[in-house]
Amino acid sequence: MQDMNLTGLFIDLMGRLGLNYEFLATGYEAQIWRDGFITTLYLVAVTIPVSLIVGLIFAACLTSGRLWLSAPVRGFVELTRNTPTLVQLMFSFLVLNTVVSNMLGGAQNNPLSPFFWVVAVVGLHVAALHAEAIRGGIEAVPSSMIEAARGMGFSQFEILRYVQIPLAFRASLPAIVNGLISLVKSTTVGNAIAVSEITYASIMVWTQRDNVVELMIVLLAFFSLINFVVARVGSWVERRLAIPGYGL
Amino acid sequence: MTASTATETGAAIVKLEDVHLSFGQTEVLKGIDLTINKGDAVSIIGPSGSGKSTILRCINALVTPQSGKITVAGTRVDQLTKESERIQLRKRVGIVFQQYNLFPHLTVLDNIVLAPTKILGADRTATVKLARELLEKVRLSEKADAYPGQLSGGQQQRVAIARALAMKPELVLFDEVTSALDPETVGEVLWVIRDLIRDGMTSILVTHEMRFAEEISDTVVFTENGRIVDHGSPQQIFHTTDNPRIRQFVGGLSGGGRGAVRDGEGI
Ligand SMILES: Nc1ncnc2c1ncn2[C@@H]1O[C@H](COP(=O)(O)OP(=O)(O)OP(=O)(O)O)[C@@H](O)[C@H]1O
Ligand SMILES: [Mg+2]
Repeated sequence: MQDMNLTGLFIDLMGRLGLNYEFLATGYEAQIWRDGFITTLYLVAVTIPVSLIVGLIFAACLTSGRLWLSAPVRGFVELTRNTPTLVQLMFSFLVLNTVVSNMLGGAQNNPLSPFFWVVAVVGLHVAALHAEAIRGGIEAVPSSMIEAARGMGFSQFEILRYVQIPLAFRASLPAIVNGLISLVKSTTVGNAIAVSEITYASIMVWTQRDNVVELMIVLLAFFSLINFVVARVGSWVERRLAIPGYGL
Repeated sequence: MTASTATETGAAIVKLEDVHLSFGQTEVLKGIDLTINKGDAVSIIGPSGSGKSTILRCINALVTPQSGKITVAGTRVDQLTKESERIQLRKRVGIVFQQYNLFPHLTVLDNIVLAPTKILGADRTATVKLARELLEKVRLSEKADAYPGQLSGGQQQRVAIARALAMKPELVLFDEVTSALDPETVGEVLWVIRDLIRDGMTSILVTHEMRFAEEISDTVVFTENGRIVDHGSPQQIFHTTDNPRIRQFVGGLSGGGRGAVRDGEGI
């Protein structure tokens, strides 16, 4: 009840400013909108780790010196970097998803949801950006340091794991944070395949209520807030990982 | 392990026989024969590009020669075909380079502890204890928690030596470990190596520190143009040799001073 009163107060206050948030008092549209926020947050929370883990794996493949690992990843990175995410999403959902459905004997057997495809497409797209940044960092580790590690008995993978990636991750952190900020914004492509994230939900509401400006204000504030948090966490990690006496 | 622990003081621990190695078209080692006994300190001297570093890299299986036999602590290095086998050898043969190459993101202690714990699977507590002992040995106990970037070159190089020793190697290779150092800090690193040799560690040093080589070596090897021109006691190589090239090289170094030598070195 407290909640209802607060909502009522908010609607009333905004009404005086000429902003129409009356739909918040309704059950159905308010619910859609709230779910939209949650879906977007959920998308962001799942896609960020996916992009980081895959980005790391991609970078490892690109720098492995093994053609059968690096060539496919290089091809994928170029493709995803140079084509619109929206097109990739539509291709994945309309073509790949259909292929999967056919293979499993019908859409009813296909466990892959539109949500999955947004995570996959946006996650891999940003992973490609991360991979390029991390690859730069891996290649910047001096060859003499790698030889010293080899001389001690480290395997190529152990050098990657204990030396190159820790250094490359630090060096590429600013680029990674930029990638994550664009990831947050890119989750909105989900509305093209009816994932009810916040832009999709907002469109549903404002076509009924004709309150585009009101919803836009919240929408912009919402994304700004998420990315503010991403940037702050990024600089916190950067400070945590800073190496005393090292020029990074 | 078995063959190596059986190696007694005085027995050959490193043996190179007619080792030939080329990088592409360039023949770098043109038939190297070299025997080093356990517990010995051997210095390799010679002009830049004569193949000194390449000899060390062969011993540590960092490069593989085209022909010739290499035996290190009972292992036929030239016959190792798999990288995993070479890794096994490298764990037993320490190598320290000119550019210390400490891991900049790890503290001094973690630099020393990383390899034994991660690649030998040694117990961490025991390794930390060993690392502290080694730091005391190289006189850097108070720097355990510092990062490499906070240390001078000489201090970093001493950590690099401690890091190599933490693997409990059967021999240690030193490749011009003082060449990148300021003259004031060269001494502190040589001091550590001298100690190590006195403790009986089999050591092979590529060095331009002639006076040091003379003082600590059991044998001095002179290389030129991919060949071992001569080898013998320090007295022989530095004082009584008839070879004009060696006389010129040794004389040139002591006459020209360190600065002149260092300008001529490749990094
Ligand atoms: N990886 C490599 N690829 C091609 N050539 C190489 C490589 N490593 C060394 N060389 C060449 O082999 C020759 C011997 O090199 P090496 O490093 O063994 O000489 P060095 O005696 O240690 O010289 P310095 O005193 O300058 O360190 C040089 O001519 C060098 O250019
Ligand atoms: Mg050299």
